[in-house]
Amino acid sequence: MEKVLEVKELSKMYKKGVYASEKVSFDVKKGEIFALIGPNGAGKTTTIRMISTLLSATEGDAVVAGHSILTEPAKVRENITYLPDEAGAYKTMTGKGYLEFMANIYAKNPQDAKEYVERAVEMSGLGERINDKIGSYSRGMSRKLLLSRAVMSRPALAILDEPTSGLDILNAIEIRRMIKQLASEGMSFLLSSHNMLEIEFVSDRVGIIAKGHLLEVGTSAELKEKYNANNLEEVFEAVVKKGSVEADEIL
Amino acid sequence: MKFFNLFKKELRELLTPTTIITTIGIMLILVFVGEAFGGIMGDVIEEASQVTICDQDNSEISKSIIKALTVSKVNEETGLPEEYDEELVKLVTLESDDYAKELKRLKENHVLIIPEGFGEKLMKGEKIELINLNKMTSGATLANVSSNEGAVESIRKVIKETYLLNSGLTVEQLANSETIVSVSEKTIVDDKSADISVSMVSSLASMQSMFLPIIVYALVMFSSQLIISAISTEKIDKTLETLLSAPVSRLSVLSSKMLAAGVVAALNAVAYMIGFNQMMKGMYAGMGTVENSDAILSELGLKMTTSGYILLGIQLFLTLFISLSVSLVLGALAKDAKSAQTLMMPITFMAMIPYIISMLIDIKSLAPAFRYLIYAIPFTHTFIASDNIMFGNTTLFWGGVIYQVVLLAICMTIAVKIFTSDKIFTLTLDFNKKSKFDKKKKKGLLNFGK
Repeated sequence: MEKVLEVKELSKMYKKGVYASEKVSFDVKKGEIFALIGPNGAGKTTTIRMISTLLSATEGDAVVAGHSILTEPAKVRENITYLPDEAGAYKTMTGKGYLEFMANIYAKNPQDAKEYVERAVEMSGLGERINDKIGSYSRGMSRKLLLSRAVMSRPALAILDEPTSGLDILNAIEIRRMIKQLASEGMSFLLSSHNMLEIEFVSDRVGIIAKGHLLEVGTSAELKEKYNANNLEEVFEAVVKKGSVEADEIL
Repeated sequence: MKFFNLFKKELRELLTPTTIITTIGIMLILVFVGEAFGGIMGDVIEEASQVTICDQDNSEISKSIIKALTVSKVNEETGLPEEYDEELVKLVTLESDDYAKELKRLKENHVLIIPEGFGEKLMKGEKIELINLNKMTSGATLANVSSNEGAVESIRKVIKETYLLNSGLTVEQLANSETIVSVSEKTIVDDKSADISVSMVSSLASMQSMFLPIIVYALVMFSSQLIISAISTEKIDKTLETLLSAPVSRLSVLSSKMLAAGVVAALNAVAYMIGFNQMMKGMYAGMGTVENSDAILSELGLKMTTSGYILLGIQLFLTLFISLSVSLVLGALAKDAKSAQTLMMPITFMAMIPYIISMLIDIKSLAPAFRYLIYAIPFTHTFIASDNIMFGNTTLFWGGVIYQVVLLAICMTIAVKIFTSDKIFTLTLDFNKKSKFDKKKKKGLLNFGK
């Protein structure tokens, strides 16, 4: 299957010898939902930020829709959208105003922009509230607006950092369904999350990252079988513990 | 107990290293300003205690009047002079009536002339006239303090007590005796002179240019606040991450921010200027105006011309963009709303110090160390721009412009470098903690690569 993202030994060193992520390699195929999971400070966000061209890579490369983050960052940005963890939006704008603003950045012509906005308004499910100021939105409403923004241009790859963090169960379910639906239509997703149940439900493949290293990649079923675990949470615990021991041994 | 527990917690939150460093910084700045003021005030007082006189009459009467001005101690019982200080009066000779040239030759800013025939007229009971020459070198308030006015009053007193009391004048005539001594005021600016007092010229000039420091201050404060707030809010809300991962160049994001902040700040400054102008007009409406004030200022070369306004525009433009680029760097350092507020401090002081100092003191007259420190503040050159243009300090004006251009280039390079690199996300100003990577390293979380 066609690869939308290919991460090749991607590393980020902030200070000499201190790696936030090191030699991370994985790929995401067309229509696939790939989840990066790991404890706090494991290097998930750093990896995602490098793929999103926000941070420069110290070593390695990532290729998005055939474009390298090192040599063609502008082309990469045309093919991705990024939703940061706990991101906000411009509070003085209305929901629709924000969508129009972002659509004009992503769209190649006004017709496309109009189409993106209409799609996002519908997906957000905000109804009449789309014309209200974002400052008056609840957390769930803001997150739905931002997610609609992230997928409205139908990017080759949508990168979502903790897409449902802080949301109530109903809103989280709605967002997970939306992601599943869009993936079935051919959009690829790179997610990061702490929520193992969510990952097990929504993702096609999972990468477990700890201390900057990608320790395991596979489907939930494969990983559960390999670690003889009942759920992804147990897999995660076993992989991270194993990773720590290996890390300490190396040290 | 509970109260102290809470009190301790509140203190700990408020007294952060950032707050302490800022407070100490403010204190040091104020000490520095105090030192600068102290020095200049000492010079002003010293200068005001000495009067420079040109005795063109050279009569016994003029000599005795000058002698009377050197009295440094008077007997309290008899009222007679006890001690004299020759240094209280400096005698000079003018070689021509070209006062501008003569003051330049003598390197004096204030000279009081006792004209020829002074003594003779006094003895005849005719009206006598002193000539008060003042050279204006700056619009700053303390720059034009002259000892001549005090000397004129002393001369009037001496004449009244020494000569008129024994001249057989009636009580009524004595009461009007002060009008016998009149003063012809002459103000000199560069090589031009006008028959008007220096204090009046100073007022007229300041009325004309007083809007500039207000615009500069408003521009700097507004633009800085806007850009620091815009950058820090985008960083904190993570909208910057969304924007910079979108298909738009970072330079476009940066320049649009700077331009928008510049436009809004300029609009604010214009609104301030209009409001302030109207306020001043209203205030001066009831006070009446000096006849031909424009003509007098033009005569002295103090009327701002079109080219002068263009030069001021250049200075304002540079100031605005220096302020925006410095603020951009500061905004990138903010990690939360509180630190964004703290980061306004350097800009506030960089605007406030030259604003206050240039209003009161002629910076050129400061001791070299202070002078160059003040000149190092980029906004100083804008605050003194109208003074430099009006008083013909072209070297200082263009020196300031060149310095600002160089500084702007440096600040813009730093700002662009920060904005187009990882630093826009990784830079923070936090004196409280070691960097999170240091902490992680310490905890062994990030040493996997070793």
